[in-house]
Amino acid sequence: MKFGNLLIAGLVTGSIYAVFAVCVSVWYRVSNILNLAVGDFAMVGALGVDNLYRVKGMPLPAAIATTLVVVAIFAFAYDRVVLRLAQDGPRRMEGIVVTFFFTFALSFFIDGVAKMLFGTDVHAAPALWSGQALTWASLHLERAGLLVLACAIMIGGAFWLYIRYTLGGKALEACGENAIGARIAGIDTRRYRWLIFVATAVIAAIFGIVESPITGYTYLSGATISLTGFLAAAYGGFRKPGRALVAGLFIGILEAMIGGYVSAQYGDTVLYAILAALVLTWPRGLGFESAVSG
Amino acid sequence: MSRLTSVPSALRVRSLGSAGLVLVAGAVIVILYGQAYTGSVVVLSACYAIVTSGMAVQIGFSQQIAFSQSVFMGAGAYGVAMLNTHLNMSVLVATPIVMAGSAVAALLLGSVVTRVSGLALAVATLMLPLIAVGYVSSTGFLGGAVGAPLTGTLWTTGSTTAVAVGGGLITVAFLAVAMFVASRILTSDIGLELFVLGVDERTAAAMGVRTPRRRLELFVLGCVFAALGGAAYAGTQQFVPETIVNPTSELALLIMLFIGGRRSVLGAVVGALVIQYLQGASTWVSVNILVVEGVLLTLVLLVDPEGLAGIVNTGVAWLRTRLDDRLPGALAGAGAGAPLASLDGASNAHGSASGAGEPDVLVTPTTLATLATPSPAVADASGAAASSTVPLLECRAIGKEYGGLSVLDDVTIALPRLGLFGLCGPNGAGKTTLLNVVGGSVPPARGQVLLDGTDITRTPPHERFYQGISRTFQAVHLIKGRTVLDNVAVACLASHKSSIVTRIGRSRLDDARDKAAQALKDLGMQHMQGREVSSLTLENQRMVELARALAPRPRLLLLDEPASGLSEQQRYRLADLLRAVGEVTCVFLVEHDLDLVAQVSQRIFVLSGGRLVFDGGPSEFRASPVVNSLLVGL
Repeated sequence: MKFGNLLIAGLVTGSIYAVFAVCVSVWYRVSNILNLAVGDFAMVGALGVDNLYRVKGMPLPAAIATTLVVVAIFAFAYDRVVLRLAQDGPRRMEGIVVTFFFTFALSFFIDGVAKMLFGTDVHAAPALWSGQALTWASLHLERAGLLVLACAIMIGGAFWLYIRYTLGGKALEACGENAIGARIAGIDTRRYRWLIFVATAVIAAIFGIVESPITGYTYLSGATISLTGFLAAAYGGFRKPGRALVAGLFIGILEAMIGGYVSAQYGDTVLYAILAALVLTWPRGLGFESAVSG
Repeated sequence: MSRLTSVPSALRVRSLGSAGLVLVAGAVIVILYGQAYTGSVVVLSACYAIVTSGMAVQIGFSQQIAFSQSVFMGAGAYGVAMLNTHLNMSVLVATPIVMAGSAVAALLLGSVVTRVSGLALAVATLMLPLIAVGYVSSTGFLGGAVGAPLTGTLWTTGSTTAVAVGGGLITVAFLAVAMFVASRILTSDIGLELFVLGVDERTAAAMGVRTPRRRLELFVLGCVFAALGGAAYAGTQQFVPETIVNPTSELALLIMLFIGGRRSVLGAVVGALVIQYLQGASTWVSVNILVVEGVLLTLVLLVDPEGLAGIVNTGVAWLRTRLDDRLPGALAGAGAGAPLASLDGASNAHGSASGAGEPDVLVTPTTLATLATPSPAVADASGAAASSTVPLLECRAIGKEYGGLSVLDDVTIALPRLGLFGLCGPNGAGKTTLLNVVGGSVPPARGQVLLDGTDITRTPPHERFYQGISRTFQAVHLIKGRTVLDNVAVACLASHKSSIVTRIGRSRLDDARDKAAQALKDLGMQHMQGREVSSLTLENQRMVELARALAPRPRLLLLDEPASGLSEQQRYRLADLLRAVGEVTCVFLVEHDLDLVAQVSQRIFVLSGGRLVFDGGPSEFRASPVVNSLLVGL
């Protein structure tokens, strides 16, 4: 049952990638900015809860609630101060500076603050559902892994339902297609920008809390998580949350399979080489806006 | 009175001066503070600055984001370390060997990854540090997590102080050479190509820029600079840490570039210095460097997306404005400021009578006569066929679908060498697609395009530009941040077939600017040549586009709705100009304004639903029931 266990492991990691990819691509749709700090919010969620619960002795529900509120307030304040100055001012910035570098600076800032507050050791939020791994025949699934899968399905499904079936979701799609057009049609693009930014920050924090018992986080873990989210979002064409979800799961399963069947040591190398080859041979199909030329 | 428009830092690259300045200042500091803290910071920053000055060319100026720098910096550092420890080779000898090896590797790798551009290039190259990290940490040969120590240094003779000072001086010299090369390229005619490539790849291709080749050259340049930086790092630090290759190092380099100013070579160097200096400025800062870098990057970008270089340039421009206000008489001799003066100042200086931003386009067939002489290259190409009866442009049974929707269906058109030919049709009839098929940016699904009897169906847009096809776009595609003169000069470049390396020696930007100035003069537009294009009215922007399309003296001029957005009076002027152009070249005009088309065209084609439904002269066009029902609604 090696295959079955690898598939389960791949699905769990894949669902982590998928959730962050969905967060990145939903916000990119609204704002045309890539959130490279999404993983850092997850790290703050995990380490914040751990710090409040283990070090400060706060009850677990209160620790979780406090952490999430702080994350939400911080995300809101960031949008109000930095993004408003960069995007809503008289000289609206465009291009790679906005797309990459503001959230990239944010990521550095959050990591630095986390280092001050939480130190440099590996920590994790306490397991929300402790106990032995679930076994069925020879298949094993950690309880935390099941929680991760459940969260991923709920978050992915909720976004999908929201975009597909609600007026708010349609408006959200419109913001990314054409911000000026959306504004003329009476859609407040700025409101959507901060709403989705705060929502994805909180979702990322929740996910960090649920997931951290599996891997354990340090103050630098955020960058790696953002990277996987960014990659999976890239293979979903950045603007398509549904495809980002599938791409995340695919990368997770591919990673597990290569690790199990090809090489554990050079697994990552093979994985990244395959991913690079995919971009180079099929850029249009993967939804990269610029196509092959020449 | 005279207000200076804001000048992009790109125009202000004081290229050679800045390399010399860095050389002298760096050398003085290294000699004075060789082994002290200040000296070591300057030398370490110089290593990074070599890398970031290459990034300024590749990533900042040409906007080709590739995450390959840390990998090649690692290749340079590890390469030198390995040659030094295993073959006992001196660092100074190993450096050029490693650079050559990196160039070959970058050429091979680049010919694969630079087939794609934009985000695809960024994502594909992001895999490089990710792959390299796994390789470096698990390879015992390179020292794994411990890193690789060196026995040798850049400078080996003398006391420890002499070794430190000598190595430092060599590193600063490397940096000065790197800056010199980067600045020479950016201020040359190829620099103008790269600027266009960075702003708008499609326009670049339509103006003859070989975009895939330039991307590859930029990639190789970035990698070789990174390898040199890495070699200098290994040679001065005597140790290569494992962390030199990883995504975080890549991001650290990007932070240096963007804080300093992405389009400025000097800015990239200053950025490296600022970050390295901060890391040792105080204990608090070095512990909390991530917070400091995050806040600093946010603040700098909020003040000016062009980084510290942009802030300094804005400051200088502001000071100059103040000085000009105080000394109005000094305007004429304002030197560098004069070409960028606003219209009021420029037209006063030229004594021309253009008031209230109205254009002063005085085109007559006589002034246009100079445009009739084809450029040498085109003359060669057309010489043989010129006397024959072969049509200039022939579209044979062109077909094209977009996702199942038929846009062009069996369209056949032939145009002779001279004259003006209109193409009309309702929205979505396929007019622009047909123009793109002729221009080369859209490949047809079926059919053939022939220019002078030669099949060019599969020829890329930049090759078609050399063969004498020139075009304008439906939406204005000018290069913001550059002057009118430079925008026209883009179409006059003779650099397309040259390699980037040739421009270190000699730039031919002035030749291109001379040709552009002549083309502007022919159109009576010389008074606006110093203005930045986004400060122009829409009519003038369209005129600049037209001038740019005419400047290379095309055999076939493709115009996509040149009259859209213009007033009636402006349309009259445009019609006069078009008639004059039609006497010296072949013009294929897509236009919604039926009156304008009927006035100027000698033959008109009408497309509807992708099919050719009318083909005839202007009088038939006016009388045709098909045309009236389709376009006029009668």
